[in-house]
Amino acid sequence: MSKEVSYLNMNKQYSYVGKSLKRTDILDKVTGRGKYIDDLKFSNMLYGKLIRSTEAHARIINIDTSEAEKLPGVKAIITAKDVPSIKYGLSPARYDENIFCTDTVKFYGDKIGAICAVDEETVYKALKLIKVEYEVLPAVFTPAEAAKEDAPQIFEEFPGNVNTEIHLEFGDIEKAKQEAYYVRTDRLVGQRTLHGFIEPHCAIAYWEGKRVHIHSSHQSVHYLQHHIARIFDMKEGDVRVTLPYVGGGFGGKVDISGVDISAVALSKITGQPVKMFFDLEEVWLNGRGRHGMDMTYTTGVTKEGKILFVESETILDGGAYSGLGVATSYYAGSLLNVLYDFDNYRFDAYRYVTNLPPCGAQRGHGQPHPRYAFESHLDHIAEDLGMDPIDLRLVNARKANTVTPNGYEVKSYYLTEANELARDASGWKDKKGKLPVGRGIGVGNGGFVTGAGFCMYRTDLPHSIGMIKVYDDGTHAIVYSQAVDIGQGSDTVLTQMAAEAMGFPYEDITICTRDTDLATLDFGAYASRQTLMAGWAVKRAGEDIKKKILIQAAEMLKVKEDGGYRSGKLMPEELDCKEGLVFVKQEPGVNITFAEVARAYFVKHGVLVGRGYYHPGKLGGKHKGAAVGTSPAYSSATQIAEVEVDMETGVTKVVGTWDVHDSGCVVNPQLLHGQVHGAFSMGIGETIWEKVTFDEKGKLLNGNFAEYRMPTALDMPHVDSLVLDTFEPNGPWGVKEVGEGATTPTLGCVANAVYDAIGVRVAELPLTPEKIWRGLKEAREAKEKEGK
Amino acid sequence: MYLPDFEYFNPDSVEEACQLLLKYGSKAKAIAGGTDVLVKMKKELLAPEVIVGIGQLSQLKKIEYVPGKGVVIGSGVTHNEVQNSKVLQEKYLSVSEAAHQMANNQVRNLGTIGGNISNAVPSADMPPILIALDTTAKIVGAKGERTLPLEDVFAGPNETVLEHDELITEFVIPDGSFTGSTYMKFGLRASGALAVVGVAASVQMEDGVIKDARIVLGAVSPVPVRAKKAEDFLKGKPAGEEIFAEAGVIASGECKPISDIRASAEYRKDMVRVFTKRALNKAANEGHV
Repeated sequence: MSKEVSYLNMNKQYSYVGKSLKRTDILDKVTGRGKYIDDLKFSNMLYGKLIRSTEAHARIINIDTSEAEKLPGVKAIITAKDVPSIKYGLSPARYDENIFCTDTVKFYGDKIGAICAVDEETVYKALKLIKVEYEVLPAVFTPAEAAKEDAPQIFEEFPGNVNTEIHLEFGDIEKAKQEAYYVRTDRLVGQRTLHGFIEPHCAIAYWEGKRVHIHSSHQSVHYLQHHIARIFDMKEGDVRVTLPYVGGGFGGKVDISGVDISAVALSKITGQPVKMFFDLEEVWLNGRGRHGMDMTYTTGVTKEGKILFVESETILDGGAYSGLGVATSYYAGSLLNVLYDFDNYRFDAYRYVTNLPPCGAQRGHGQPHPRYAFESHLDHIAEDLGMDPIDLRLVNARKANTVTPNGYEVKSYYLTEANELARDASGWKDKKGKLPVGRGIGVGNGGFVTGAGFCMYRTDLPHSIGMIKVYDDGTHAIVYSQAVDIGQGSDTVLTQMAAEAMGFPYEDITICTRDTDLATLDFGAYASRQTLMAGWAVKRAGEDIKKKILIQAAEMLKVKEDGGYRSGKLMPEELDCKEGLVFVKQEPGVNITFAEVARAYFVKHGVLVGRGYYHPGKLGGKHKGAAVGTSPAYSSATQIAEVEVDMETGVTKVVGTWDVHDSGCVVNPQLLHGQVHGAFSMGIGETIWEKVTFDEKGKLLNGNFAEYRMPTALDMPHVDSLVLDTFEPNGPWGVKEVGEGATTPTLGCVANAVYDAIGVRVAELPLTPEKIWRGLKEAREAKEKEGK
Repeated sequence: MYLPDFEYFNPDSVEEACQLLLKYGSKAKAIAGGTDVLVKMKKELLAPEVIVGIGQLSQLKKIEYVPGKGVVIGSGVTHNEVQNSKVLQEKYLSVSEAAHQMANNQVRNLGTIGGNISNAVPSADMPPILIALDTTAKIVGAKGERTLPLEDVFAGPNETVLEHDELITEFVIPDGSFTGSTYMKFGLRASGALAVVGVAASVQMEDGVIKDARIVLGAVSPVPVRAKKAEDFLKGKPAGEEIFAEAGVIASGECKPISDIRASAEYRKDMVRVFTKRALNKAANEGHV
């Protein structure tokens, strides 16, 4: 299935890092023993749901809950008047969301209130009895409508419905324009998509005295704790967040969804545990998925294809609230500079408010659409210059140890090698330009940050803290971290790292994560940060343990008086510890078990604890928005797809895919390949099938997996996942990310393969059979007209 | 997404089921696999006060060949049972394959063929191929029974000619002279997608000449329809790609599709052309597939 090519990181002899060890959660998950939020039950638990708007934009005249309150079993109904009147969000610059709508509803599905009852059935019955009277207001559903002069204003604070406006310029565009040999403009459109995780949002809250305990399905225990404390004016120490296993996130469980806040509020009122849960359709209504983006790029190149300048304008359909959208808007422009090395760059972006569910982060945050657009644009430039598309990319690929014009320091970066390996592995040279009509091959590049350089809310806290405790008798260790395993496997990877750093058996370590009371600070699973950031903290905690073990062991080990490599008292630096055995480096026969040493330490000093700290330090430039896109390390990747298009029906079948990832040292190859397979599935779905669709009144049309079509196993091609296995100086053991970056090249490479197959650029995603059919038909008709 | 309250009956025979349906009239609904009715109830599109379960009736669970009559398919067999039936795989692999193309494995495992027909969704996968093979439906009611050509069972989207007390009990694919048949489903993904267009074709070939043909179109009209002009055009013509392509154009002119979230009418019409051509080719050259 997958090949590994050892490259640039040859010199490693690790016990656990770099091996496809069995996942820590695998037995729980395959046997069904593992608990997800919906499996949790507490005595006297009540069941609740949000009351949602049935208008896209309207003033609330009256909410009549009297009939619902009379229904036996209904325990509480709350609306805006019953909760703090504080606004929240994820970016402090744009806290614009109320717990419940105070005056107007801003999209079909907006939160009006919450209700809880003794069982689910009663909740659904009661929901139907709540009568909301509206004064319907004119609404806008596209950025174009929102931008009209006479468009209704959705927020007072966003005149012209512009939620975020960005104008960044680096270098000297005008000068570069004079020097350009060839200039081309392309406009491409990416659609609104959703994450497609199978576990809907859910939260259970109950109060223990002044403290509240929330169980949730979320991507960050820390952010949830922070925002709940802020919203309810509590101390963070009085909010405990615990997550059971999480059934996927992909960026859709970073925001506060409303189940969390309302569970806390309703549990306070009722004095009972309250479980708030979404039906599947509500996951779509909650939204926070990929923004629709309309992207225009103008690029000037030399005769050899070297990019001299890029001017870009991106218009984002933001939906009703900001959420992570400010960061999305910046991300849409800022990472292009990492991928390709050019000095002169202008990025303008406008994020519009529309009366639709809010958009936010989705795997590759802000990247996949711009990558799709720019990679398509590059293929046209290559074609116009008569160049091979990969050669054009090789001319412009960024190199290691460089700094981007927008101030990012890029250490390891092997995009050139990724392109070359993908080209050779896919048989590109035998295929490009040589395949029959209807068959095509395309390339796309991408990559991502390995953790964001700054916390989403402003704080001086370290980004990750690790702690390891060894059992009294030295036979077992517990790793503590608030890192969140949402299925990507961070628990496994961090356990491997702890084992490696300590020199202790992987199978004798338990990891304690996803709990603000028990585990130590980490910002959670977003921006592809866990392996590097939580990894550093855990590595350092492991090394702290090992240091203490070697000091203790030096007192216990004796080298032979005669025949040994030397005699006398040992120093700790003469020792090493691997896989549970402490030994003299020069004479490994002289050794003692980790457990014996750890027990002796315990007898003498008490508990053996290791501590680790990670902060990325100050990163980035000083311009407005300079923080977004900063990261200690950047991954890069090249993907190639081969497709077959039915020229009569427009159906695209992806027949082969290749991914070459420059993701630093690979801690667990199996998990990396899993990410790459998943990324192709997600990316192919977004290229060909998926689009969140609404009717003319803003009502969601496809909030289910039947009509929001993601690829099934039967739709998936063979995936050839290749690893460069590079080394990143800013990562523990040289690691970088793979989770999000792997999705960023997919849309572009599949779209380019389709273009190669049919010779027509369908410039708006998704490339549904009908759009391809229409594109072919229009091209045919235009040709006929020309012929006449 | 919660089922409303209802009364449930579990009759021992078709006759008892019909009596219950007669008694409760429009308040009652029969279910077998429940893959359509229960979903509609959860979505509040349907609120029967009484549900009559017929999925357990063994008399509806047969697939057999009766010499002189044809292949008899009980209405209570699931799509997976149709798919895996030795009788059908031998005689009409095309029917077995059509069942396999329906929805996804979970639905095929529960949903019955009788339910798929009675639910009368325009995009249903089983009606086109069965109509193309001149299938008849036996309908049993409280007051007696009748047999209709399957194509006469449909009255409109989600509507059949069945009375409240009537159930389809079996389908018969008569021994006929068709030499080949096939159903081509065009959905927007490999599994778990409704047909945007479904075309079934059957042909009777004799020395390279088309003696008779049926073309049945799904998802492009309120009910599955035969493209009769295209059928007539084919009769007596030599089989060949050009002839089939022309038949596709004619069939395309006979359908009246709608535009919806899945496809436009214009696209559907052209897909009727494409898949009529392909289905005829396949049925003429490969037999019942």
